[in-house]
Amino acid sequence: MGFLAPWALAGIAAVGLPVWLHLLRKHKTTPLPFASLMFFERRTQSSIKHRRLQYLLLLALRAAVIALLAFAFARPFLQSRLAALAGGPKLTVLAIDNSFSMRDDDRLARAKREAAQVASTLRDQDKLEVLAFGSQVHVMGDSPAAIQTIEPTDTRSSYAELSRALRSIAQTGAQAARMPVEAHLFSDMQKSSLPANFADLRLGDGTRLVAHPVADRRAANFAVESVNAPRRVYGSGKARVEATIAGYGTEQAKRRVSLMLNGRELDSKTLDVPAGGRAVAEFLPADLPFGLNRGEIRIDSADNLPDDDRFYFSVERAEARRVLFVHEARNQRDALYFRTALEAAAESAYALDAVAVEQSANLDPHKYAFVVLSDVGTLPASFETALRDYVRAGGSLLVALGRESALRSRVPVFDEAVVEARYYGRDGALFQTAAWLDAGHPSIHNAQRWDDVKFYQAVRVNPGAARVAARLGDDTPLLLEKQVGEGRVLVFASTFDNISNDFPLHASFVPFIEHTANYLARQEEGPSNYLVGSYLELRQAKEQGAAVEVLDPKGARALTLDEATRAQNMPLAMAGFYDVKRPNGRHELVAVNADRHESDLDVISADTLALWQNTAQGQQNATAGGEAETPKPMEFWWYVLIAVLGLAVAESLLGNRHLTVDQAP
Amino acid sequence: MLQRFLDPATLASISGLDLVAKTVVDGFIAGLHRSPDYGFSQEFAEYRAYTPGDDLRRIDWNVFARSERLYLKRYRGETNTQLLILLDASASMSFGSHAVNKLDYARFLAASLCYLAHAQRDAAGLIVFAEDVQNYVAPSARQGQLFRLLHAIEKAQPGIRTDFAKPFVHFLDFTRRRGLVVVISDYYERPETIVKTVEPLRFRGNEVILFHVLDPQEIAPQFREPVLLTDMETSGTLEVSPEYARGEYRHRIDSHIQALRDQAKGAGLDYFLMDTGRPLDEGLREYLGVRQGRM
Repeated sequence: MGFLAPWALAGIAAVGLPVWLHLLRKHKTTPLPFASLMFFERRTQSSIKHRRLQYLLLLALRAAVIALLAFAFARPFLQSRLAALAGGPKLTVLAIDNSFSMRDDDRLARAKREAAQVASTLRDQDKLEVLAFGSQVHVMGDSPAAIQTIEPTDTRSSYAELSRALRSIAQTGAQAARMPVEAHLFSDMQKSSLPANFADLRLGDGTRLVAHPVADRRAANFAVESVNAPRRVYGSGKARVEATIAGYGTEQAKRRVSLMLNGRELDSKTLDVPAGGRAVAEFLPADLPFGLNRGEIRIDSADNLPDDDRFYFSVERAEARRVLFVHEARNQRDALYFRTALEAAAESAYALDAVAVEQSANLDPHKYAFVVLSDVGTLPASFETALRDYVRAGGSLLVALGRESALRSRVPVFDEAVVEARYYGRDGALFQTAAWLDAGHPSIHNAQRWDDVKFYQAVRVNPGAARVAARLGDDTPLLLEKQVGEGRVLVFASTFDNISNDFPLHASFVPFIEHTANYLARQEEGPSNYLVGSYLELRQAKEQGAAVEVLDPKGARALTLDEATRAQNMPLAMAGFYDVKRPNGRHELVAVNADRHESDLDVISADTLALWQNTAQGQQNATAGGEAETPKPMEFWWYVLIAVLGLAVAESLLGNRHLTVDQAP
Repeated sequence: MLQRFLDPATLASISGLDLVAKTVVDGFIAGLHRSPDYGFSQEFAEYRAYTPGDDLRRIDWNVFARSERLYLKRYRGETNTQLLILLDASASMSFGSHAVNKLDYARFLAASLCYLAHAQRDAAGLIVFAEDVQNYVAPSARQGQLFRLLHAIEKAQPGIRTDFAKPFVHFLDFTRRRGLVVVISDYYERPETIVKTVEPLRFRGNEVILFHVLDPQEIAPQFREPVLLTDMETSGTLEVSPEYARGEYRHRIDSHIQALRDQAKGAGLDYFLMDTGRPLDEGLREYLGVRQGRM
């Protein structure tokens, strides 16, 4: 309870007035001489005492009226949620850690048992909310039976994030308007799940947190911490697989490490893992088959948490991807420079097919990783149409503009107008340099290395809806990108032939070609492996495109038909391999692993846990008087005024009986 | 008869009891009382025709010589009545709720009676008493008696308390002749005790008149709130509520007055209640009217 105008309580001092009138003033009455008390009797004292009692009642009524009046003017209020904590209905939130580490021993079972015990103590008017949290928070239900529906096979939650769980509890509490929240957290309280800042564990006002640790000590655990393997191996190249084995709270031990490929053990090694340390095993599988391969590193840990004893990775052996390079027949230099740069950088990842524009009429661009149009003038209509279809379906196109292409009114497929061809001259300082570069663009790896590149000629293109990644000194767009359908088109406003610029002679040319090729061929997109609970991007454009086909590790379709055509991304719910077939026909194998933060089963110390709870409690108290989080105070001054009115009526009746002036007989 | 009701407060403003008494009494009829017998007084009263058996010595022979008829000459008989005033000067008599307290009122009354007696040439005496006899002026009709009486009345000071028994033993010694005994008091005593004490005076052939002097506040107290009362004689205190004073007390004082009146009447005593809030001459007139009616 509090007061909105506490200064009004000073009015209670006015209670002294009736006290003075009734007690002090009366006692000062001077005795009145009378001829004889012969006809007065001692028993009249009782009448006086009775009168005094009535006067005391009158005094009490008057004092109460004044005190309550001052009390009402002080505008008392009740913190309804805090007040309700004692006896009113409350919302009990049972948040159960369902992360990867809870599979150790019987932690999850113990958490569920303790949660069931808490649920059994609830009263009829209390509400219940059962949450399961890991990297995600899932509402399981609002009945005690929901506790039992939390299964360890639910692999959607790998890494327990306490802060996320508490945020969800706070949101649940905020939705429970005017109802106190009692949150019970059942978790193994891993150190790794604790955020760096206790402030992230802030609870809402009126929420009381009770922590139920289900793990008392640190359990020893071996895990495959990470695997470093190439996503693709081209031609006859060899794949080098490096696995890091970590021991968390373990003694020094020997562990056998195996390399599995497509379910078959290819190689194994025995490692000496130091106490609480790491050891690295290296494999060079010789007979890596062509195509997508399901790789796996396993150890024989013999601990209680076997799920982190394996690590999935995918590796693809493929032929070098073909790149179609279309150029004017009389210009061979640009193909030479481009091929040289491509072969130097990408280690046989790409094979360039240089074709004169006149021979391109019957070419099918779909079999190429990407297509380059190097300063071409007129394209055969059939090829241009095929090229446009190819890009819309997800293909990529690089257009270099020079003298020939400047004659066109529009850039092919890019569909933006060519404004003019600009000649800067080779003499003196007439050339232009790249004045502005977008370092965030995948093609421009290191902007500083473009500083010395001289541009003597450039074709100015209206950017339109395209993204400008680089500009020359005269503000002419040098590199533009535009999304067309599912595909992407890059326009380089100069050539690769060492005539319009000296770019091919600079060290930055090879990285530029390499990054651009990988970007256009979508070779580097996405991480090499994913964590359970993360999201896989399915398509770039927001427009509805062709269906994406995804098979989960169990071989079932992960998406419905509608999701396959509309979804921008999808959650990776379990560890294993996801088979993804994209609309452009590309086939990917996505390896998904549990978060290795969960492998360290070290628990939060009791002191830290107490400190955390105190911090949360202190925050709760601190925000109790806050503005945004504070529930509306329930004022009840009008009830006090009603009481004052009732007392005033009683005072009038009582006072009227005894304070009337005696009438003369 | 001249009606001059004099307010006690007005009388109190008059200095000197003689003037007070004169002012009060002058408005009355000249005689206080007449002798029940026609005697040898020098004051002529009337002539009456002679009837056989009348004393021949009372025949007015001068009238017979002039008219040859026998008439008896009758004179107003000169009285030998003795007035003795008993004035209560106890502490309770000093109570008063207005300008004139009971003792002052009693003084006025006593002075007026003395003045009347003096005018009648009666012998008048005074006993001032409270717990004991404070002052005594032997009855006499001599020259200067009035001033001695008025002086004694003037000197009367409130004593401590009233004790009827003790002073009345002395009264019996003092009153050797028959006469008129006037007792002026507030009579805060049981009526039986008062009557029993005063009765012997009556037995000796005295006319006894009881003047009961009470303040209006004693007859009908007006308290607006509970008051702490102090007894003026015993100094005892008592807290009294207005309800009690309005109800029970009045019933008791009325009963007391009525009992005193009844028992006085039964014992052949005259009783008059003198409210100090009423004009003194009004009370006296009422008394004299009763006296004359009796004669």
